[in-house]
Amino acid sequence: MDRRKFLKWTAGGAAGAAVVTSAAHFAPLLHKEKVAAASRLEIPTTCEMCVNKCSVVAVVENGIIRKLNPNPESPRSRGMLCARGNAGIQQVYDRSRIKKPLIRAGERGEGKWRPATWDEAWDFTAQKLSAAKEKYGPQGTLWSSTESFQEVFFKNLGMAFGSPNIVRHPTLCLASVNLAYSLTFGTVPSFDVLNAKYIIMSGANRLESFITPDTMDLIDSTMERKARLIYLDPRFTVTAAKADEWYPIKPGTDLAFMLAMMNVIIGEKRYAKEFVADYTVGFDQLAEHVKSFAPEWAEQETEIPARDIARIAREFSDAAPRAIYYAGRRSSWYREDFQTRRAQAILNAIVGNWDRQGGMVPNGKLALGELAVFPWDDPVAPRVDEMDKNFPLAAKGDGAYLKLRENVLAATPYPVKAWMVCKQDPMNALPDQARTIAMMQQMDFIGVIDVQMSDTAWYADVIFPESTYLERQDPVEVMSGLYPVVVYRQPVIKPLHDTKSTLEIVQGLAKRLKLSQYFDFTMDQYVDAQVKELPLEAPLEYLKKHGMYVAPGFPKYGGTLTAEHRFVTKSGKIELFSERLQESGNDPLPVYHPPAQPPAGSFRLILGRKAYFTHGNSTNNPWLNAFAPENRIWLHPKTADSLGVNDGDLVEAASTVGAVRLKATVTQEIRPDCVFMLHGYGKKSKWQRLAGAGASDAQLLETAWDKVSGNAALHETFVKVRKV
Amino acid sequence: MAVHQKRYVLVIDSRKCIDCKACVVACRAENSVPLGESRNWINEERRGEWPKLLAAFEPEQCHHCESPACVRVCPTGASYQRPDGIVAVNEAECVGCRYCIIACPFDARFFREDKGVVEKCDFCAHRVDCGELPACVETCPSKVRVFGDINDPSGKVRELLEKRRYRTRKPEAGTGPQIYYLL
Amino acid sequence: MKHPEWGYLIIVYLFLGGLSAGAFFVSALATLLQRNGDTPAYTRVARLGAMLAPWPVIIGSTLLIFDLGRWYHFWKLFMHFRWTSPMSIGSWLLIAFTLITLAYLWAWLSAEEREKAFFRLPRYLASLNRDFSAHRRQIALLGMPVSIGVGIYTGVLLGAVQSRPFWNTNLVAQMFLFSALSSGCAAVTLLLAFRRKDYDACSFQLLYTLDICLLALEFFIVVPYIVHGELSVQAVKDSLALILGGPFTVIFWLFFLGLGLLLPLVIEAFETLPAWMSQAGAVHYRTSVAAVTALLVLAGGFLLRYIFVFAGQMSAFR
Repeated sequence: MDRRKFLKWTAGGAAGAAVVTSAAHFAPLLHKEKVAAASRLEIPTTCEMCVNKCSVVAVVENGIIRKLNPNPESPRSRGMLCARGNAGIQQVYDRSRIKKPLIRAGERGEGKWRPATWDEAWDFTAQKLSAAKEKYGPQGTLWSSTESFQEVFFKNLGMAFGSPNIVRHPTLCLASVNLAYSLTFGTVPSFDVLNAKYIIMSGANRLESFITPDTMDLIDSTMERKARLIYLDPRFTVTAAKADEWYPIKPGTDLAFMLAMMNVIIGEKRYAKEFVADYTVGFDQLAEHVKSFAPEWAEQETEIPARDIARIAREFSDAAPRAIYYAGRRSSWYREDFQTRRAQAILNAIVGNWDRQGGMVPNGKLALGELAVFPWDDPVAPRVDEMDKNFPLAAKGDGAYLKLRENVLAATPYPVKAWMVCKQDPMNALPDQARTIAMMQQMDFIGVIDVQMSDTAWYADVIFPESTYLERQDPVEVMSGLYPVVVYRQPVIKPLHDTKSTLEIVQGLAKRLKLSQYFDFTMDQYVDAQVKELPLEAPLEYLKKHGMYVAPGFPKYGGTLTAEHRFVTKSGKIELFSERLQESGNDPLPVYHPPAQPPAGSFRLILGRKAYFTHGNSTNNPWLNAFAPENRIWLHPKTADSLGVNDGDLVEAASTVGAVRLKATVTQEIRPDCVFMLHGYGKKSKWQRLAGAGASDAQLLETAWDKVSGNAALHETFVKVRKV
Repeated sequence: MAVHQKRYVLVIDSRKCIDCKACVVACRAENSVPLGESRNWINEERRGEWPKLLAAFEPEQCHHCESPACVRVCPTGASYQRPDGIVAVNEAECVGCRYCIIACPFDARFFREDKGVVEKCDFCAHRVDCGELPACVETCPSKVRVFGDINDPSGKVRELLEKRRYRTRKPEAGTGPQIYYLL
Repeated sequence: MKHPEWGYLIIVYLFLGGLSAGAFFVSALATLLQRNGDTPAYTRVARLGAMLAPWPVIIGSTLLIFDLGRWYHFWKLFMHFRWTSPMSIGSWLLIAFTLITLAYLWAWLSAEEREKAFFRLPRYLASLNRDFSAHRRQIALLGMPVSIGVGIYTGVLLGAVQSRPFWNTNLVAQMFLFSALSSGCAAVTLLLAFRRKDYDACSFQLLYTLDICLLALEFFIVVPYIVHGELSVQAVKDSLALILGGPFTVIFWLFFLGLGLLLPLVIEAFETLPAWMSQAGAVHYRTSVAAVTALLVLAGGFLLRYIFVFAGQMSAFR
């Protein structure tokens, strides 16, 4: 080969190579442009991964949901979307979703299912419900649900059916704190965390257990605006890590802390004198009542130094009215929780932070229209949990779940034999799982509406698969609070599988139960009627475009601080002393009862949540499961030493109602007298990715409830732990 | 008005980070990152003895360095740096030799078994080029992250870096990381 | 790093690449030292080296290609030349080197051997059967820097990575170079030891002498590597802990340094000493000893790469 040929070859080869490389370099850009040209929609809607209902914008490309972005228009969610919100996509495309109606084919809990048509499922269910009605009356059916925008239709079906037995999730969660604030202020306010200067939190692990707009505000106020955060928790949580002061309070003694604070604030005349005089009743009785609760006494109870309690009380009152004792959400801790929350409400009241910036603010309201529906008769029979007798002050519509279960198991005052469950997992949400299973086994029929196979669905007779929140239109709702927002939920894709919305499921049942007249409308009609009243030209188009309507002029402060305003209480004022409580045989002012201590060798079991794992809605999500594929029991090193347990060892935790096995984490971040488990593991349903991983706290927790509200008390259980 | 060269950086206020993992999930959704790997992560530090305890969280991802080692060692030029500082991978040219993974001091890159190429955070370049923020920045509930042009004299990034003290990670590796952690 | 990205495929390639480089170098050296065919020893060594040189690098390069995430895109490496990337330079060096070793092998084949090779191929290719034997010296001269390049670049590949403190020293390149050359030397020695009928004391003398120099040079690079490393920044000190008490301690000191470097060095010195002491030059070299020593050196060369590839990926700036 001569030189010329050689050069030609190499030159040609190099040129060819250049062409090839440059084409390769531009190829990925070309591909991206192609996708951009194809169908790409951005549809605003509302998240359903938790109660906060943040506003999202769904990015749909070629009919597939690619991403959920936060919607910056919402003053509530303010351009944030938490891990669960982002993971909502996985709920839609989950392979283990329920894709068509299922009817049980084996024993309860065996997991044998046969697919059914909707007609079959409805026929079967209606037949069973009617049979129960025949034999036991409509009150022989139980209708339990967890909040959702379509829950109203489910509840209405139960009521139209004639059953008084509607039970909802607040009785497992925040019923006690809501009742405490309602009895004090006539309403449950929101907390203006963003503008507060001094914030005290008992538990309410807002920076870890749950991501809400309050989470954002707490970070902003403490880290940008220099607010001070005092945090009480037997566990060193993320909130504890970020707080200015964290006290590992002895569990169940928060009331002592609050009483001592009131003792200092009233004793040193640091309360808001004018506010108390103008807007409250019962101050004198309160002042007398707290005289004996000195910080030194509280130190004995809480293990928080007396001088810190006194100092915090002074700092709190100095910062008022921009000082709040944050109420939190889940108040299902102790049998005395209601009174603890009452003390909290009273403490907030006497520093005068009501309806002030940086204090507690009654929720802004927005009026929605209503579709006129055929009214049904009120149920005739009394509730099976005998709310009037047992919890006369509590919210009747929510019931008292644990008392209800006891009565159902004892078949008093009458038997309940059919159970419809909507978007709820009582198997894990209720303590003492063995009793829940017993309650299920004594039912003639169990029907479940859910998106995925929860443990409760696993034990059901019929499962109605619901479309996910990204596949349906829901009634419009007002998210009330400091910034009331009307949120809209519209489908961003058509349902992937043979699923229906709760309304459609209810309508199918209603038809067969001869109750159609109460549900004779479409979702479009329902929504239209709701939004008619909004001050917009074309409300529905507006909502479809923005996903929400933000009421102007909020937040509003001071609207109730007028002479004419009447609080929704017996006296018309804020009730520091509550006659209603006295009349119903309860303490009108909070009385402290020291909590029982675990006997030697036992530990108090306390629960908590992790934001990306909390709630049944998100426990079967692969993107979220990756962060915490199992739970372990937390033991303080002293505890671990005494039991001969090392980090990672398998242990057995046992209470009087059950025993579970799981691995131990030996950590400094829990008190030596407590053990901790993350809630939501040990699932039985084989369609759950984490079935069998970790252990279920529901199997260990003993049945206990708050005396006044009936709210579950989930921190009253003592467990023994041993190495296996 | 002087036209300057954009240089994108990330400023992070770790005090605000609560390890909620929103950024990790948002990135996974936005960039179709398979489970088992992650383009971003949260570093955790826990120490102390009861009851004097500390827990701190620090988000991290590719630092889009000033003199990126990964770009330098790439034999095909698949790893490249844009004029605006974003370091990205041209998948078409990547042969999967994984030299860049080894060269990165921050372990920011990973190998995609299914595709045979290397992947890492690219500051959501496809979003940034449309005027949007990277997914992790947009989604963060605590607003830990500030993304922007360090060369913009009136930008938020400059404002923060001029007012606050900051540090970068592993400066001794000599790559000039461009994630600034406010102190 | 969370887990090592480069594993056995890379380690074996680094070893084989170095082996080829060393074999070529030894052969080229022997070729160039030869004076008008009066030292058959050198011819023997040169020819053995030439026969050996192409194959380890071809096998190694094949392994390298299959280690890639997308092996069928390996040709993209030859669409670019990037000065800053040791891997890019290395790819080009490898291909050049492979071609040179093949040409060099061809140059050392006898006429009959060339006929035999072309016997299987179709007739029209017969014109390609050229005689390169006259160009042995030129090819050797041309190829020597390339072979040194191949031997050294494997060290530069690691040494240029600033984020791996175990590697990031300018001594790594030399360490790998001398290890490669000494491995090549050992391989040729091993081949020679098996060819009893070709036994020739001068061949062994050449190889032993060369290997002693190379091993000594290698040793006097390992020592400052450790000493200076211990006196260096924290990250480097921490990384050296891997061989000073860490998981690679025994394998480094006992197997690599002891059995793979010092022991063969001592044996070779012992074997060669009489030859250097006496003027007669007629010393009998024991082939069994030669074979064992060669195997030790080869094992040492492999272990050096094994240690460096894994320990390096475990080291980091914390």
